[in-house]
Amino acid sequence: MIVSYRWLSEFVDLKGVTPEQVADALTFRGLEVETIEKQDRGFEQVVTARILERNQHPQADRLSLCKVTTGSATLDIVCGAQNMKAGDIVALAQIGALLPNGLKIEKSKIRGVESFGMLCSEEELKLKDESDGILILPSNTELGRPLADVLGRNDTLFHLKLTANRGDCLSVRGIAREVASHFKKPLCVPQATLLTDKAMPIKIELEAGEAAPQFYGALIEGVKIGPSPDWLKKKLESIGSRSINNVVDVTNLLLFERGHPVHAYDAEQIRGGKIGVRISKKGETLPLLDGSAVECTGEELVIFDGERSVGLAGVMGGGNSEVTDKTTRILLEVAEFKPSLIRKTASRFSKKTDASHRFERGVDPEGVHDVISRLADLVCQVSGGKVVGFQKAFLPSRDPKKFTRPEIRVEANYFSSFLGATFTDAEIDSALRSIECQVKREGSQLVVVPPSYRLDLRIREDLTEEVARIIGYDRIPETIPSLSGAPEPERADPAYSRRKKIEQAKDVLVARGFSETVNFAFTSAKWLSEFGLSSAVKIINPLSEEIEYMAPSLLPGLIRNAIENANHHFGSDILSQRLFELRPVYALSAEKVGATSRSETGVKETDTLAFVMCGERLAEGLKTEQSEVDFYDFKGVVLDLLTSLGVKGARLSALSDDAKHLGSRSTLFHSGRAASLRVGSQVAGAFGLIHPKLERALKLRAPLYIAEFDFSVLASLSREAGAFKKFSALSEFPPMERDFALLVSQETTSDRVIAVVNKVGKPLVQSSRIFDVYQGAQVGEGKKSIAVRVVFQAADRSLAEAEVEAMSQKLSEAFKKELQASIR
Amino acid sequence: MSQSSGGNNLESLIATIAEVEAKALNQVSNAGALDALDAVRIDILGKKGRLSEVLRALGSVSAEDRPKIGARANVCKAKVEEALEARKSQLESQLLEEKLRTEKIDFTLPSRRLHTGSLHVITQTTREIVRVFSRLGFDVTTGPEADTEFYNFEAVNMPEDHPARDMQDTFFLGPGVVLRTHTSSVQMRAMQEKGWPLRVLCPGAVFRSDWDATHTPMFHQIEGVWIDKGVRMSDLKGVLSFFAKEMFGSKAEIRLRPSYFPFVEPGCEVDVRWKSGWLEILGAGMMHPKLFELAGFQQKGGHAPTGFAFGMGIERIAMLLHDISDLRLLYRNDLRFLKQFE
Repeated sequence: MIVSYRWLSEFVDLKGVTPEQVADALTFRGLEVETIEKQDRGFEQVVTARILERNQHPQADRLSLCKVTTGSATLDIVCGAQNMKAGDIVALAQIGALLPNGLKIEKSKIRGVESFGMLCSEEELKLKDESDGILILPSNTELGRPLADVLGRNDTLFHLKLTANRGDCLSVRGIAREVASHFKKPLCVPQATLLTDKAMPIKIELEAGEAAPQFYGALIEGVKIGPSPDWLKKKLESIGSRSINNVVDVTNLLLFERGHPVHAYDAEQIRGGKIGVRISKKGETLPLLDGSAVECTGEELVIFDGERSVGLAGVMGGGNSEVTDKTTRILLEVAEFKPSLIRKTASRFSKKTDASHRFERGVDPEGVHDVISRLADLVCQVSGGKVVGFQKAFLPSRDPKKFTRPEIRVEANYFSSFLGATFTDAEIDSALRSIECQVKREGSQLVVVPPSYRLDLRIREDLTEEVARIIGYDRIPETIPSLSGAPEPERADPAYSRRKKIEQAKDVLVARGFSETVNFAFTSAKWLSEFGLSSAVKIINPLSEEIEYMAPSLLPGLIRNAIENANHHFGSDILSQRLFELRPVYALSAEKVGATSRSETGVKETDTLAFVMCGERLAEGLKTEQSEVDFYDFKGVVLDLLTSLGVKGARLSALSDDAKHLGSRSTLFHSGRAASLRVGSQVAGAFGLIHPKLERALKLRAPLYIAEFDFSVLASLSREAGAFKKFSALSEFPPMERDFALLVSQETTSDRVIAVVNKVGKPLVQSSRIFDVYQGAQVGEGKKSIAVRVVFQAADRSLAEAEVEAMSQKLSEAFKKELQASIR
Repeated sequence: MSQSSGGNNLESLIATIAEVEAKALNQVSNAGALDALDAVRIDILGKKGRLSEVLRALGSVSAEDRPKIGARANVCKAKVEEALEARKSQLESQLLEEKLRTEKIDFTLPSRRLHTGSLHVITQTTREIVRVFSRLGFDVTTGPEADTEFYNFEAVNMPEDHPARDMQDTFFLGPGVVLRTHTSSVQMRAMQEKGWPLRVLCPGAVFRSDWDATHTPMFHQIEGVWIDKGVRMSDLKGVLSFFAKEMFGSKAEIRLRPSYFPFVEPGCEVDVRWKSGWLEILGAGMMHPKLFELAGFQQKGGHAPTGFAFGMGIERIAMLLHDISDLRLLYRNDLRFLKQFE
């Protein structure tokens, strides 16, 4: 909201108070001033002056040499404009001026002639986007006056960011109350004599119950619609509101002055001798002031007359009853509507108006009579009309004789103990009274009745804030609370376990050279479809198609990052990239998304870990020493991850075996250069080379290795977070080694060799590893040679040569039998 | 045999030994390589070497003279061996020096470095914030990103049609289901789950329908809640002041400005004085009694719970601490950006 300093000073005497002090006071009372706009910014050194002479510049045809006077000084000015003559009053930017367009005025020599300032155009003063020639002011303008004063541009505007609880501050009066309270000055708001009941030919009817508890109407005749007087126009324009006509302008003025939206109808258009407010009928259509029409749902408040609806209550007037140039009789409406209904209506029809904004925050229920009296007074003043009828329609709850306000009782020492501050009784009482609360002390209790317009003050905590903000938050000291009881043991907390494992996984990947990315949780259907993926969780009201679907996989985002990074990369080297992300992906957990209870959403979020890798093995090194990463480098990362997390029961299997579990995700991979990761009985995900089809479609510059795992599966079978690793005794006895070279069919995977060793070799085998694989002419078509080194060791004795020999024999036999291997 | 001839033999043999010795020493000092030196050793001191050869004539010397010859021969052997040893170590050290000279490399050539990785600044900042509050005994908990309107709004005292909902443009996923607009949605879950006293932090991603130079539709927040008996607003101030000093340096000061969040009363914005001015870093306040009511909190030992809550944007803190000027960089995942935070 915008409030002008000048308008404020009509309500509070601000002599000796600068706009900056006002802004500070407001901000520290919780009404944040975001910016202070000085209308005269750039006009500081610009004054009015008269041209005494205009002569041709001796050196330049298109320049003039003007002698101007400010009344006290006469100056020579070189000017390029053509529209002026001697005697004109112009805007003179003096030396030192910094114009709104950024131009700095200095003493200068223009084509050999000295110039002591500049005559300004409206464009240079940013009064208009474009202008032809310099600004010529009316001939009766006083000389030597600041231009800002002459143009009335010497106000200061406060741009306020108001919080939703302070509906009472959505007006000049509301802000003025705070300013008056802060500077301890009286508040003088213009008051009109209260209207008294007068027979109304148009009867007001309340048919919406407590949703519209009061509606005051005044009928004015003899109105002449026309342009507003200058003071009114300027006032509205000063806060950025456009002048329309005298009557409409007055209704707008009231909205900004009192914060209570009001409406003026052309009384001739109100049919059937009545007006009122009721709940709409489902399906009825209502034309609005802005030219649009709404179809009612049966849940909004409408203003009706004897025949039809004439307004969307609290939001916008009807297009069928608006004030026009020909209007002579006016019906004024000042009413109160239920905030939540107005809010629903405004958002349902996307009609957020100045009126709905205020009504949904609540208006002063006791202020209706005052507002309509002021409104009627001003309308008569500017349009020449006369009040001929006035009716107050209200429910018992709004009977002006019986207004009740809530009473808040609080222990007198409550404020200080809750705030941890020491405020005196006098300070507290004076703080509350300064905002028009009634304060009484009854024994140890304080009884506070807030003013009627403070709908946000209902409980003692609300008053605490008032006391604190008025006395000053800076009066509250800094203390450290004491712990009552020890913290819960962390390791028992599943949230701790999840967080720790996530941290651990991230740390391993960082140690392996991966950089963490953070992508949006949402993406586009189009991008997902590039990967044959789709999402079942959609944003109903997306900002754009680009971010419409919740990501079912992190890989599309990571791959996009890799592509964009490659595109940024210049030079002939391939950009080495290692990226990872760990965050939830989205799927349905029910048939569709919807809240079926306070906590069920139908959406399943699964912690997911994805990473991608491409480029060189080393970050730095000579060409001859570098090589591109391949599947086995990538597999190493996966195994490091599993080891670090202590994942139990992890094993790899062919992608094709787990295609069903992996779903459409399995088609992201090159089936021959990828593997599925099983953990326990679950498939955790897959990793390997990206599918060549995708590599082509995405125009990747280097082979990209991709991995994605359901992190919750990995976490569920990993070492307990924070668990201490257990030591196993170091053997005192020497190990022995045997190497075996097996000639097996090309189809035999090396893990089967290890499996045989592990199965048969117990308990002597301490470890085993594949150390060579050969395929080629020497072993023959369809065959390969696998070399495995087995280490034997016992924990309790030195092994005898014969023992190891016997075990080697046993292993050889098993290789032959189980793998159809020949031992070379 | 005559005495004199015996004497002659003695002298001539001693002379011969001296000659062998002189020659040997000469050869040793002239040997240019270890193998040449070895050859000298064999030539002089070997079984068939020259010294042995001389000693073979020992038979022609009288028994009483023999020890003299023997003594002289031993002196010769010792001298030659000593010379050999000295020369050997000299040659070896020459060789070593040669080796060092020839094996010299250009140490300025590129190393073979492994790739280094980095945590995203959002993660780094989150961890740092968690570390600071952990010192005061806060636990960490998390909640779902897609949540019900109940937890996102009602549970933080923003009932349907509350104007405060305007503060946060909400993404909807289905009837009653939203992408949480703040991590405050986790407050009530934590309160219901853990009861009170409670000290908990809730970090995570949040979502608002706003996308321009200074807003992204997804960003991160961390929410903190401290509920206990007799918690005062001055405690809120003390805790946040401690946080500010840990994050922004021991000279950092905070100030509170009144503000409004439906789930706190009184509410405030918190500014930190850092470098040249006051920067808004978070929102906070004393927890609204409505929340205790919703959580079903009962009095304990005659004490009602009171508490405070605070919430801050992690991106904002990260940008301040790392001098990052453009929010959008945090979501572009440009390696040139990411790698600056290794």
